[in-house]
Amino acid sequence: MRGVRLRDLGEAEARQVGARAGTEQALEPQGACRPTAAASQPLPHQEQRLRFSVGKLCGSRVSEPVHWYFKKAPPWCSPGLGPWVLCWSHVLPCAWRALHISAMCAKNRVARVRVGKGDKPVIYEEAHVPHHIAHPKSWLSLHTGNLDGQDHAAERTVEDVLLRKFVLGTFPGCLADQLVLQRRASQVEVCALVLRQLPAHKLYFLVGYSEALLSHFHKCPVRVHLQTVPSKAVCKHI
Amino acid sequence: MRMRLVAARSGTPRFYSGSATLPKGEGADVTGIEVVIPKRKTWDKVAVLQALASTVNRDTTAAPYAFQDDPYLIPTSSVESRSFLLAKKSGENAAKFIINLHPKYFQKDIAEPHIPCLMPECFEPQIEDISEAALQERIKLKKVKASVDMFDQLLQAGTTVSLETTNSLLDLLCYYGDQEPPADYHFQQSEKSEELEEASEENTEKPKKKAGQQLGATWRAKNNAERIFALMPEKNAHSYYTMIRGMVKHRAPVQALNLYTELLNNRLHADVYTFNSLIEATAMMNEKYEEKWNNMLELLKQMAMQKVKPNLQTFNTILKCLRRFYAFGKLPALQTLREMKALGIEPSLATYHYIIQLFYQHESPSKGSSLVIYDIMNELMGKKFSPQDPDDDMFFQSAMRVCSSLKDLELAYQVHGLLNTGDNWKFIGPSHRRNFYYSKFFSLLCLMEQIDITLKWYKDLIPSVFFPHSQALIDLLRALDVANRLEVIPQIWKDSKEYGHTFRSNLKEEILMLMARDQHPPELQVAFADCAADIKSTYESQDARQTAPDWPAGSLNCIAVLFLRAGRAQEAWKMLGLFKKHNKIPRNELLNEFMDNAKASNSPAQAIEIVRLASAFSLPVCEGLAQRVMTDFAISQEQKEALGHLTASASDSDSDSSSDSDGDINEGK
Repeated sequence: MRGVRLRDLGEAEARQVGARAGTEQALEPQGACRPTAAASQPLPHQEQRLRFSVGKLCGSRVSEPVHWYFKKAPPWCSPGLGPWVLCWSHVLPCAWRALHISAMCAKNRVARVRVGKGDKPVIYEEAHVPHHIAHPKSWLSLHTGNLDGQDHAAERTVEDVLLRKFVLGTFPGCLADQLVLQRRASQVEVCALVLRQLPAHKLYFLVGYSEALLSHFHKCPVRVHLQTVPSKAVCKHI
Repeated sequence: MRMRLVAARSGTPRFYSGSATLPKGEGADVTGIEVVIPKRKTWDKVAVLQALASTVNRDTTAAPYAFQDDPYLIPTSSVESRSFLLAKKSGENAAKFIINLHPKYFQKDIAEPHIPCLMPECFEPQIEDISEAALQERIKLKKVKASVDMFDQLLQAGTTVSLETTNSLLDLLCYYGDQEPPADYHFQQSEKSEELEEASEENTEKPKKKAGQQLGATWRAKNNAERIFALMPEKNAHSYYTMIRGMVKHRAPVQALNLYTELLNNRLHADVYTFNSLIEATAMMNEKYEEKWNNMLELLKQMAMQKVKPNLQTFNTILKCLRRFYAFGKLPALQTLREMKALGIEPSLATYHYIIQLFYQHESPSKGSSLVIYDIMNELMGKKFSPQDPDDDMFFQSAMRVCSSLKDLELAYQVHGLLNTGDNWKFIGPSHRRNFYYSKFFSLLCLMEQIDITLKWYKDLIPSVFFPHSQALIDLLRALDVANRLEVIPQIWKDSKEYGHTFRSNLKEEILMLMARDQHPPELQVAFADCAADIKSTYESQDARQTAPDWPAGSLNCIAVLFLRAGRAQEAWKMLGLFKKHNKIPRNELLNEFMDNAKASNSPAQAIEIVRLASAFSLPVCEGLAQRVMTDFAISQEQKEALGHLTASASDSDSDSSSDSDGDINEGK
């Protein structure tokens, strides 16, 4: 089932949608009305009706056809609704259950490097997607805020964002991987993997600078641990 | 209950109830048992950490913890280690500068309890109006000129400034000698003061005139301090003290002593700190040693009269001044020490340092050096010190210097044992002093100790504690030579490359010379040849960087010999070719070895090549070589003729008649 709200569509398009969704039921010509099996008495209103097969309500998969009616809602019932509302029972004058069928959302793009032609090198961290965390991948930020009964997880997250942006900017072009942040008894340990672009004394300058500035900002000891690598460790090419 | 306590105290745990062990006559025993409940122990806050730390020894394979643990970031020489630490410190200073420039971003205080050192500091005075509070603020912020201006404004406005404020202003002025504190005062470590101290240390051996020019400010006459002092309506003792100490600090002893007489005239008494300064002042005057010493004794007598108790600094100051008296100061120094003991003041490490300096002033022990160092070390065994004097960290350096000049290993072990007692490691001082201490210690070990123990110390100390000088490595090589353990040499070379001695030519020559001197078993020869090849590659890379290639002759000889002995004949022959290129002359032994090698491989062409080389260099040994070739090898006629030509040309330059006849005979054949 698509997700676009039929009441937003025009009539013709709605019919087309209905036609796409339909399986073995033929499309009713305009103007005709055919009562459903459930309803035997004549309908109180003479609006156009389109009938097509849709799946059961309550979000289950489309298994057996259930007859739906697609018609204009009577003005005395739920005046706030738009003109075309899909309802599943024209018998009751009130409580029109309305389901908005709209097009599906796009695919998940979180923390994924899109597949290319095979020439894009990715490191292990980028090659694995977030649902791999806790099996091939581990957390980048380790703190106890998310344990049962602990609080201030949000503050930790905000601090993490600042730490990552700060270190990314302070070590320009030198970081080979995402930072690993560990919190240990009111200290913050920033573990960074750096490339050997800068001479060693400049790296020490930046380490001293970051440690002092971040400690003064967060009012707790912040230590920076570096590990240098000659180049980024490419895991595969995608 | 009581029985259980007794059982616990006796050390045998019994876990059944006490009543079962109660004897029948408990009433009679109760009076005999005395239970002493010990006082509750108070532990230091970090006692657990200290206990844990005592179980861990120093890791001899790790770099000092201040460095990042990564091969790219671990320093490989003392220069690098100093530069890395300075870079880190300057990064911290840059961060503090930024923080103090924009303090509003760092004001949010989320630390519980409050951490003052992580808050931004304010270096500008906040109070703007003319009042005493503003003056006090400027004094607290150490703004010399601003506070003097504020004081003058206050006086002009007619308000009287209180005595304490004026005294604190005088303190500020006298401490800085009426100059602003240095511009990087807030970021300044004790580096600068140490350099000044070293300058003053070196100056004790130089004439006293030069000493005055290198230290800080001098006391100008009629400066702000004196002016304010004169303006003060009432002066108390504190004002006089500050002025005297300021004058002495900035080398105006005459004014200091005059002010002291004025103090006495006002029927005030001086305190112990003022007396310490006055003692220094008397030593600064331009008089003879005996007069100065008598003046000092005078001062001490006055001190006793005014019932001022001397402290450790008094005696340390006396000894520091006596140091400059050279031979004259020895007896008074011992008297001072005895006085100190009599008064019950415990001497600090600085005291012993001054005594050592006094008694062992010259490097080489001339006519009977003193045995004072042994007494000192006997006294200091097992003692733990706490910092009491700024000069405490000079003791170990001077003690090791004396041990080294006396060539006494036992004494050195005693000194090192004292260093490792308790917290005394803190007194080793800054990096250059530490390097000096360990260099001397290690050189003494190489000289005097058995080779196995020396190698153990080598692994222990280098490079985790200090980076060896090339001289220290040469000493180690000599020690290996003496103990006949030359197989360790390739390992030493590999290590010294890591410590930045790759291009140190005296070290390389020593290594090559030791390897090439004697014949060795084949595996060792192979190892030596690899080492020689490595050294050769370092020479070549050095050549690539310099315009004029310059290999020492000894190295060329040794490398060639080593290649030859290990069976790498081709490389050896290439080395021979290099001799001409570098304009160096091969030794006779080398040519003989090549001749042996040629004989072993039975190639007359090579032999002739050698003779040709020898004649090219016009060596006198060319003759002997030619003879050898002719006797040992089976050579054809042309070769003989060629040989003859060679010897002839050689002998022509020699102008020797016998060789001439030889050449004729050869030609005749």
